[in-house]
Amino acid sequence: MTELQVQQTTAHWPNVQEMPFWLEKAIAWGQTDTPHTWKDISLHLKRLRDFLQQLLTEISSVSSTTETLNRLPLLGQLLGRLCWNPHVTAEGASRGLLLQCLLALYSEHPSNAVEGKANQWIQKVLCHLATDEEDGAAVALMKHLAVPTKEYHLNVLKKMVTRIQESIGNSQCSVSSTNKGCSCGSVWAASEACVPLITCPEASPLIGALLQQQMTCIREGLSENFLGALHSAYSRCDLLLDEQAVVSLWYQSLPSLEEAVLNLLASATAAGSTPSKVEEQVSKSLLPKACAQHCSVFLVVNDIFRTVLKQTERNERVKNVFQTFTKCFFMELSRLQPQPSASLKAFFPQSPPSLLIPLFTMPSEMPQESLKNHLMWVSSSLQRLTEEEEDEEDSDSGNIRGNHKVFEAWFLLVQCAYWVQVAVQLLVTSGPEDCGPLLWLLTFYHHPTNRWHHRASQLVQAKAAWDHLYSLFSTVALLAPKPQQPSLAPSLTLNLLVNFATFGQLPQSTSAEITQKVVHQSGLQDEAARVLSSLRLRLNDRGSFANDRVHLRIEELHNTIKKPM
Amino acid sequence: MEAVLKNVGRTVELLAVAAHSGVVNEWDEQTVTRAFHWARYCEHIYSRFHGNPVIRGVLEKQLQLTNHSLKEALPEYNAVSFLDLGRCQDLLLLWLLNNSALPVSIMKMLFETKASADSTSSNYEDVRGLCSQIIQCKSACTVLRPLLGVPTVGADAEVQGEMLMERLGSALSQSSDPLRAEDFLSSVLQEFEVAAEHLCPVIAAALLTTTDSAAQTASQDFLLDWLQSRRGTLQHVCTALPSKVLADLAKRHQKFRDAFCKLLKRWASEMEYRVTEGEWVHAATSSAVSFQKMTEHYLALFEACPSLRTEIEDELNARRIADGDFDVRGLSVWGDILLALRK
Repeated sequence: MTELQVQQTTAHWPNVQEMPFWLEKAIAWGQTDTPHTWKDISLHLKRLRDFLQQLLTEISSVSSTTETLNRLPLLGQLLGRLCWNPHVTAEGASRGLLLQCLLALYSEHPSNAVEGKANQWIQKVLCHLATDEEDGAAVALMKHLAVPTKEYHLNVLKKMVTRIQESIGNSQCSVSSTNKGCSCGSVWAASEACVPLITCPEASPLIGALLQQQMTCIREGLSENFLGALHSAYSRCDLLLDEQAVVSLWYQSLPSLEEAVLNLLASATAAGSTPSKVEEQVSKSLLPKACAQHCSVFLVVNDIFRTVLKQTERNERVKNVFQTFTKCFFMELSRLQPQPSASLKAFFPQSPPSLLIPLFTMPSEMPQESLKNHLMWVSSSLQRLTEEEEDEEDSDSGNIRGNHKVFEAWFLLVQCAYWVQVAVQLLVTSGPEDCGPLLWLLTFYHHPTNRWHHRASQLVQAKAAWDHLYSLFSTVALLAPKPQQPSLAPSLTLNLLVNFATFGQLPQSTSAEITQKVVHQSGLQDEAARVLSSLRLRLNDRGSFANDRVHLRIEELHNTIKKPM
Repeated sequence: MEAVLKNVGRTVELLAVAAHSGVVNEWDEQTVTRAFHWARYCEHIYSRFHGNPVIRGVLEKQLQLTNHSLKEALPEYNAVSFLDLGRCQDLLLLWLLNNSALPVSIMKMLFETKASADSTSSNYEDVRGLCSQIIQCKSACTVLRPLLGVPTVGADAEVQGEMLMERLGSALSQSSDPLRAEDFLSSVLQEFEVAAEHLCPVIAAALLTTTDSAAQTASQDFLLDWLQSRRGTLQHVCTALPSKVLADLAKRHQKFRDAFCKLLKRWASEMEYRVTEGEWVHAATSSAVSFQKMTEHYLALFEACPSLRTEIEDELNARRIADGDFDVRGLSVWGDILLALRK
């Protein structure tokens, strides 16, 4: 039978099959108290919880305890033994389920001797668990000093956490002492023992200390169960750790790190997130800090970004997150190191090294005049890179390595996109002669791949758009005297202007505003009015009264021209 | 004061009901919360007045009366003492849980467990989930205990020592009569004649706590004097504790150092050489310290207080010489100690 089929046939009573297994486990766990026992317990804890949940469902579905005990004769033994196991009772979820199972067996109105005895036993167990009545000399003193049970045990717990933290802090492991057996074994044992205590608030300083313990030993590390349990608790947002402990967790547990990065991406690209919100989310997430402290963490994060980017080239929101992240990361790095640029190669091993420092210099750190040259240099470097790679491709058609270098350069540009923003700004004040490299940069940012050699046509389109906008927003200079010889008669341009304003597609008010600005700037109001009048006359002659719209426009224009500015 | 007496009396009656009456069956969450509230009230009264002999007397009288009338009504009733008032909530919980008439709903409420880490113990007033939190604390302690390695005195003894010091401090400050504090210490010891061994680490921990104030130093001093005045207890302490702890105590307190050295010398002088075993043995009791243990004590002492080494060795040597200045084993205990120390 396949696993699915087995599950289905025993769907009603999975417990009858598993009960002897768990009872055996419980007995074994009660017999020894070594780190290996602890490891076995934490290994089985999740399955045990699932089993207890199933038990609880069944006990609750059966109305009489007598019947439950008939169906599951080993139940009492199992629950009893589990109650005496502190590793099971220390953990919140398993303790909860265990107690609920016990209480579900309690009969409100016992109908026979069996149920009566069961009630007595349950009350006895609960009493023993929650009070110190049977605890002898250890707690007798506290009674004599009139210290409440809860306060006493809480203080002992806190004291233990402090002492263990101290002893962990003191344990060193030098590589040379591998023969003698290092104390890292005790760190492993401690991490194994602490698995049930991960969500216990008083134990969180200890958990943090374990995570941040420098693991220099080759043989021992933190227990796998410990890291796995931390990851699950982290996913449920159930963990109480301070900042440094979280950073250590990410450093040691890859799944936790991946989850953190994906969560950040999801929330930062959600609908309604503004750039300032994104920045807040990114810096609050502690990820930039973690990346600055551990190069390996940054490499993983960058890898995830790289993969995401390959799938969503055009997604501007995602690109914005990367840019913000890099900015925050660099800020954190600068806090840690006086010369962050020195270590950039380690953080970006795959990027073209010549581009690293230029792109990571913040625009604010350069004088305004040098910005343009800087960008020219960046643009030409990138151009050269793309041309090289295309040449390689052409000459070596069997080479499927692909646009690796170009992609890495583009990825770097995306992360340092503040430079692209500067380029766009500079394009407004550039003239047609020097806008070329800047336009190339902009085009490259939005279209990194040159599939089917489309770049040339894209560049042409970009230039055309720039031309349009340039003209549109500098119309005022239309009639300014130009030094060119032979100069064009102003009335030629003026005639064109008036006709465009009258018959053009722009709305009336916009046409009027543009016309007014140009005419008044050049001081040719009278000439303009004359042209307009002769146009009106010509239209009247043709008897096109019917076109009121044009008529209105001419009137409006006339008024505008006549109006003093 | 009358109101206080009435309230205390009523609460004790409440405890009796919780313990023995079927009425508990009708209790709901509100009733239970109120009951614990009154128990907390009694704990508060205790902590305020336990050092005031006059008010304490009045309260004890009230308790006597209440106990008497309750005993007549409920033959199975256990009297509540003044001391019990100090841990009234524990008593209430214990008696409730032992009452077979307690409804399941109340039990479920007391043992409710929130699986998330949200359930901090910050809300001291909450009765809901109280038992689950206690279990968590106790289990966590049991889980962590083996990780402490070789303890000096152990976390339990440390906490108990701190609390002992706290109570001792308040006993000393609340009355100018040192007899009260003495009575207090003696009563503590008396209760644990059987468990004197358990008490030794506690006393050691109490003496080793760091003192931040003159009052705390005074308390420790008082405890030391008390310890020295009771030969039996001092001897017990020095027999039961490991060498390292005793050395730490000697390092910390001059008085203890002197007393300890004196004790070691006395032990040594009481030793006899058994030819059949080839060992020095303490003549008095078989359970007393062994030669090896004594040597360990000396070595630990030297490590903690290096300045003592020459002084003690000189003294031992002087006694060896007085014994006849022999270099052979088995003739002078002092010589043999010196030999063992020099190895």
